Amino acid sequence: MKILRGAIIALMVLAIVGPLVWVAMNSVKTNTELFGSPWSPPKVLAWDNFSRGWNEIGARSFVNSLIATVATLVFLLPIGAMAAYIFAKFPFPGRGTVYALFLGGMMFPNFLVAIPLVLLYRDLGLLNTMHGLVLAYVAYSLSFTIFVLTGFFQAIPEELREAAEIDGGSPSRTFWTVMFPLVRPGLVVVGIFNAIGLWNEYPLAMVLLSGENSTLPLGIASMAMAQNYRADWTGLFAATLIAMVPVLIVYLKFREQLQEAMVAGAVKG
Amino acid sequence: MRRRTLPFILGFLAPAAMLYVGLVVWPLIQTFRLSLFTTSGLSTKVNYVGAKNFERLAADEAYRQTLSNGLWMLVVSGIFLIAGGVALAHLSVGNHRSARALRATILIPQVMSLVVVAILWMFLFNPSFGPVDAIVRLMRIEPPRSGWLGDPGTALPSVTAAFIWYALGFYALLFTAGLRQIPEEINEAAELDGARGWFRFRKITWPLLWSVKRIAVTYVVINVMNVFALVQIMTTGGPDRSSESLLTYLYEQGFRNSQFGYAATIAVANFMLAMILSLGVLFWFRRSPEVGRR
Repeated sequence: MKILRGAIIALMVLAIVGPLVWVAMNSVKTNTELFGSPWSPPKVLAWDNFSRGWNEIGARSFVNSLIATVATLVFLLPIGAMAAYIFAKFPFPGRGTVYALFLGGMMFPNFLVAIPLVLLYRDLGLLNTMHGLVLAYVAYSLSFTIFVLTGFFQAIPEELREAAEIDGGSPSRTFWTVMFPLVRPGLVVVGIFNAIGLWNEYPLAMVLLSGENSTLPLGIASMAMAQNYRADWTGLFAATLIAMVPVLIVYLKFREQLQEAMVAGAVKG
Repeated sequence: MRRRTLPFILGFLAPAAMLYVGLVVWPLIQTFRLSLFTTSGLSTKVNYVGAKNFERLAADEAYRQTLSNGLWMLVVSGIFLIAGGVALAHLSVGNHRSARALRATILIPQVMSLVVVAILWMFLFNPSFGPVDAIVRLMRIEPPRSGWLGDPGTALPSVTAAFIWYALGFYALLFTAGLRQIPEEINEAAELDGARGWFRFRKITWPLLWSVKRIAVTYVVINVMNVFALVQIMTTGGPDRSSESLLTYLYEQGFRNSQFGYAATIAVANFMLAMILSLGVLFWFRRSPEVGRR
């Protein structure tokens, strides 16, 4: 029984880590070596795969992805926290309905609204702009962010808020000086989770951006689809690795927070 | 409510509400409106056609194909994700070295972009250097001549395999949380009564996971309806629409063919379908098995 258990686990770990190691191995092979011996470790290290892969996806799309992710978080976290604070601490008539409306966004695929969104963006001149993309990212990340942060605000004792307000703070001063810093663990949880999702985002960027403005997923996707007529497989292996490594580092560093965000979003939802 | 808090409440909700209503709720309403119109190309001219788009959809062979693909994927990946998720949740509890290794790796696919997952599986299925061909040949099976992704019989199963590889960690995590919710007394009582192994799982653990099962099934429905990047990059829905998903078809009609009205109709139909399926799931798993047990 113990042996069986160990064997299944080993097989699972191999099924996940194996392909990644294989990608890393092939990312430093020459194209001839890849086709000749796809299994053995590389004989000579062809580092120029990385410069080709990097040029193909473009430093621009890497920077764009970074901007989109960071800028979205900068707006999303305060805006989401403000709304979550109200839902957690200030009962008002119709609160349940408004809250449910906000959470509805978690349930349906964003792509269902893509067409009117593109038409709206065309009319507003936001198509193919980074600030347009960031606005959409903030809007579509709000549901999950508000949901998780509401839970974190509810966990803060009511007396703390009352004490702060008695000390002469206005409600909004109390929020920014006391509550917002207090909810930091929650901000880290949703921040990390959203950062990964935004860094990886493909469908919205695909319909809202075009041409010279692209993000990393768009860049490697178009490189992959170009393989049919212009095969540079090892360059693509290298580009894939470039896209993979940042999230893997974040994963290894923040695994606990990520799990917390995923379980919170799933089990209570 | 004190009077001075009302402006505060409104002020704090306003930024989120404006963005959410403007860019999520309003476009959603527009999708419903647009489904009653036809648009011509990139021009802004629209013609009201009533339910014509829906009649066209009802007769659309290609859409029917995407529905049956979606249903296939729902059933197959649902079985694998739920059975696999429960099994992995059992394997990943405890402080043993192997359990910790499993916990550390199982969520890796979840943090990768679906674009990267798609490319990774294109590598794995590649007929010239991919390992899938090699493994299958070891089992003395001849891989499809036009490649796994190029054969109408294997394209959808191949995409589904990539989808399962990507999603499995999430379901394992879900069921791990579910196992933790089972009260310690029940496990102790089962231990005392000598209920072990498969019997204990079937009679005690599995029924007690009912609420997690409901969440898991709901998520399978949502995730399968959401499949876009995997199909778009691995097969673009081909060959002959054999792997077309609901969203790749919507994308094709809306953005490749610029038929915004018809694409909105597809979106509305998909939305309705998602609602019906979710309600069905809620109804199917509507109550705890502990209630009303003789």
